[in-house]
Amino acid sequence: METKKHSKMAWLWENMKGYRLIYLVGVLGTIVYNVMQLTVPYITQHIIDLFLTGDDAAANLVNKRDLFFQLIIAMIVLTFVRTLIVYLVCMDVEHVSQKVLYRVRTHLFDKIERQDMSFYNTYRTGDLMTRVTGDLDAVRHMIAWVIRSIVESFALLLATAVYFFYMDWRLALSILAIAPFILIVIVLFRNKVAPRHKELREKLSHLNTAAQENISGNRVVKAFAREDYEIKKFDERSVDFSKTNKKTALTWITYFPYIETFANLMSIALLVVGGLFIINGSLTMGEYVAFSGLIWAVQNPMRMLGNIMNEFQRFSAASDKVMEIYYSEPSIVDKEDAIDLPNRFKGKVEFRNVSFKYEDGNLPVLHNISFVANPGETVAIMGETGCGKTSMIQLIPRFYEPTEGEVLIDGINVSDMKLTQLRKNIGLATQDVLLYSDTIDGNIAYGDSSLTKEEVEKFAKYSAAAKFITKMPDGYDTIVGERGVGLSGGQKQRISLARALAVKPAILILDDTTSAVDMETEKQIQHSLNELDFPCTKLIIAQRVSTTKFADKILIIQGGRITEEGTHDELVAKKGYYYSLVQLQTGEEV
Amino acid sequence: MARRNTYKEDEVLETPFDYHHLLRAFVYIKKYLGKMIFALILSAIGGVTGLFGPMITQKALDVAIPDENVKMLLMLVGLLCICFILSIIFTTVRSKIMINVSQNIIYDIRKDVFEHLQKLPFQYYDDRPHGKILIRVVNYVNSVSDMLSNGLINVVLEIMNLVFIVIFMFCVNVKLSLVVMTGVPILAAFMFWIKNKQRKAWQQVSNKNSNLNAYLQENIVGARITQMFAREEENAETFAELSDRCRTTWFKAVMYSNLVWPGIDNISVWVRAAVFIVGLIFMGAGEVSLGVIVAITSYAARFWQPIMNLGNIFNNFINNIAYLERIFETLDEPVTVDDAEDATELPPIKGDVTFENVTFAYEEGKDVLKNVSFTVKAGESVALVGPTGAGKSTIVNLISRFYNVNQGRVLIDGQDIAKVTLHSLRSQMGIMLQDSFIFSGTIEDNIRYGKLDATTEEIINSSKTVCADEFISRFQDGYQTEVKERGSLLSQGQKQLISFARTLLSDPAILVLDEATSSIDVQTEKALQQGLNAMLQGRTSFIIAHRLSTIKNCDKIMYIDQGGIVECGSHDELIAKKGYYYKLYTAQMDDIA
Repeated sequence: METKKHSKMAWLWENMKGYRLIYLVGVLGTIVYNVMQLTVPYITQHIIDLFLTGDDAAANLVNKRDLFFQLIIAMIVLTFVRTLIVYLVCMDVEHVSQKVLYRVRTHLFDKIERQDMSFYNTYRTGDLMTRVTGDLDAVRHMIAWVIRSIVESFALLLATAVYFFYMDWRLALSILAIAPFILIVIVLFRNKVAPRHKELREKLSHLNTAAQENISGNRVVKAFAREDYEIKKFDERSVDFSKTNKKTALTWITYFPYIETFANLMSIALLVVGGLFIINGSLTMGEYVAFSGLIWAVQNPMRMLGNIMNEFQRFSAASDKVMEIYYSEPSIVDKEDAIDLPNRFKGKVEFRNVSFKYEDGNLPVLHNISFVANPGETVAIMGETGCGKTSMIQLIPRFYEPTEGEVLIDGINVSDMKLTQLRKNIGLATQDVLLYSDTIDGNIAYGDSSLTKEEVEKFAKYSAAAKFITKMPDGYDTIVGERGVGLSGGQKQRISLARALAVKPAILILDDTTSAVDMETEKQIQHSLNELDFPCTKLIIAQRVSTTKFADKILIIQGGRITEEGTHDELVAKKGYYYSLVQLQTGEEV
Repeated sequence: MARRNTYKEDEVLETPFDYHHLLRAFVYIKKYLGKMIFALILSAIGGVTGLFGPMITQKALDVAIPDENVKMLLMLVGLLCICFILSIIFTTVRSKIMINVSQNIIYDIRKDVFEHLQKLPFQYYDDRPHGKILIRVVNYVNSVSDMLSNGLINVVLEIMNLVFIVIFMFCVNVKLSLVVMTGVPILAAFMFWIKNKQRKAWQQVSNKNSNLNAYLQENIVGARITQMFAREEENAETFAELSDRCRTTWFKAVMYSNLVWPGIDNISVWVRAAVFIVGLIFMGAGEVSLGVIVAITSYAARFWQPIMNLGNIFNNFINNIAYLERIFETLDEPVTVDDAEDATELPPIKGDVTFENVTFAYEEGKDVLKNVSFTVKAGESVALVGPTGAGKSTIVNLISRFYNVNQGRVLIDGQDIAKVTLHSLRSQMGIMLQDSFIFSGTIEDNIRYGKLDATTEEIINSSKTVCADEFISRFQDGYQTEVKERGSLLSQGQKQLISFARTLLSDPAILVLDEATSSIDVQTEKALQQGLNAMLQGRTSFIIAHRLSTIKNCDKIMYIDQGGIVECGSHDELIAKKGYYYKLYTAQMDDIA
């Protein structure tokens, strides 16, 4: 994908814009406090030398009491300053990492929200959630800890190396000659652990997806008493995740002994080479003590690097996933020269020789659809399950784009319009009713949060929902569960209808919105749809003749083609498919 | 929970944490206690071996080198090598053990949480955004493992370390040791102050992350609605606000956490200064020897190292306890619908269903069903009609015992369903819900959900019966077509047909169809009717439908309203009665004529 072009570090740096300077200050602070860390032991040593073990310690204690206290105060103050710097540096990098996290996270959310349908068909909910939570945390950790630790390790290593060489280059060389071996081990480790982290991250995503789907489908699970099966299924993922986690951690454990051995070899080199040098007189005891006092400053960074590399690979695997979304572009976007249409549409909908086919080759396919719905008209669309009705109406708000032909509103091709302006003019109540866990009021006012209580109630009345809503314990403030659980199918559909009406759309599309509503209620709804206090073109997909009977025009779709078109009477006279539908329904019900 | 939770609200913690939560966590540790103790011993030995290192070096510097004894030097180096190797081996083995232990602990906790979730009633899932449940199963469980494994071992090690140092220190000089110990109360006060602040702060972090997760999940699922209503900007703002709250609460939490380490560092230096001052000035050279002061200062320095390590572990604990208490809260969530203690297996169902004075309310005081009684004989088909929200779905939900009745009894074949195992009851029922949930996977997998060991032939047969075979075979990959999450590939009607096939495949003794065919077109439904009739043969069935054509042929029609059965009888009887059903029926006829 496109992500290959962007380097991870460049991407990170890009997102640190505005905080780069203070981040660098933090990194610099890291170097400062590491240097300061070497000062307190120095003072302590000085106190011990002067006042405790030195030849004239007793005299010094009497004569140089001021110095004694000065040193003690210096020790306290220096520690305070150093820890203050540590604290400030920590908070500084936390601040930057949180700001970057916030920036990337909101950017990802924005990206996810604006994707087209093919994106949602590709990425599972649980997977996307892993990217925005777990993966992003690895990115945060990179800024808050990994980079700082790299700087810290190298600063300490370099400073000490320079000091060592300054004291005795031969001894320094014999100790530091081991360092490249550690680096080689770390590189080998990286090669092994990088694919592990990629795998681990996948397994986490699988786990998340499994849990997410199980929670969403909890009703079906219970209905089929499939708890044991679900547990088994989840358990497989859980075991998988746990195994991969172990494998990843054990990869480190396989390399750890080598790193540790080499790090300890440094101590041994010091003892052997240093000892021999002392024996042949080319090194003083004092110099040796200085070396041995600082050898940790070479060993510890070397040990740290393994851990750092581990975390770096975690970041690397995670950032791939994050960047994939970060740089993804929906294919349906505003054209550069999109026409600005700030005014309310009149509502003329026209399909001109529209053909459509899903990218993945799946059904249904639309062939050469042409029809016109004039402003204010009601057009009913009927046809068998899966014949392409829903696909057809999804072309109007540009959820998909026709493969051939064009969809026009008020004479303008919808693909030349701005998406927001286009969609603001359309009210769509989908087949699969999706309500949010929010109040009923909030759900109805979803398209227009500025709606007053009275207006919300008005639209609830239009959709024949007012009665059952007011009967609920908290009325319009009743919180509906996620996806509208707790409401019956008919109730959900009516709220969804009220939500579509509440944006006072120029074009109202109802995709089988009243299928679960009883006849009497449906009649009410039909009545109020005719009495709307705003002009509105209506496209209604329905199964029942009762719903479509009074439409200005009825379209019959069969196998992705319009096979019949006309009013109820015309189509009945035609004695085709529609007629058979009427026969079927009246035959049954009358 | 009185009110449903949303992403806007923090969840109230119903059982605030106390330290017996940690004891409770012990359940998970107990299984691995042997391994953990072994790891602990290895660490201790490794630590002791590590102590030999400086001693050997000292020997080399004090004896071998001044004596210019190269042979001895090399011998000591050899010893040092052995020490290092042993120490590395111990550490490696310990790490290996603990990796397994910590991963197993996560696995165990997650398994328990997930299994418990499977037992929780609908209500639990209805009352909160699913993102908030998800974060507990996945993210929170991941977080606590290290604390419960390595965290605990390190606590023990550091405390042991500390105790040894204190003993040694007191052996050297009691008075000076007491000076060192003055740091302890200061430290305790500091930690106590910070603990309360920190705990609240980390709880907030967990709350805010949970809210964010909830909003995120709903918006990924509902992206199409967002786009339809062109709400992208507004939702992005809400999300930004939630993210920002996560950011600020996190920042506040680390503000306290990051204080711990520098705080201990400073206190340790004050104490060292105090030792110098007290030792040198007040006690003078007479009372203590120089060697004692040197020794005490070096012990004092060592004394603080384990304390600092403990401080870090403590930070980790406080942080993770916020997650642990949420995990335990989930595990404590009462299973309101569960097998009775003496529950028996329900034998193969014949199909008599009886409601005996059943009263039911989702919320206390708001009865949905009042004193409902009826009997359905085996093999009968019963239609439930009535206005939306009258309680039709509730009645069928009670038959499967998705909820417990408040009063009265529901009997199947004369047995109270509250006294049989849920699994034996539900596995014999076929319920088609209003919301036909489709799992990701192939179409075949989805149908097979009804009968896990079904053959391909059986699957195709049941698809044919419900007229789903036709559209399924039109897909390129037929039954192997991957339906995307929640079946976004399929139309609502197709989803209903698939879930119909799934229910049919499970060959239930009692069949419940709750608006099962609402989105299926009339022609398909007509064809389906034949298959359905075959399916209804010999099974008790309950059908909720608005299209009266679907139910006209049922043996019994019950008109439900006002929390009870208003009318009951066959189609002809009810038509003759000219009551509610008659009105409903004629209204539909008028519509079609």
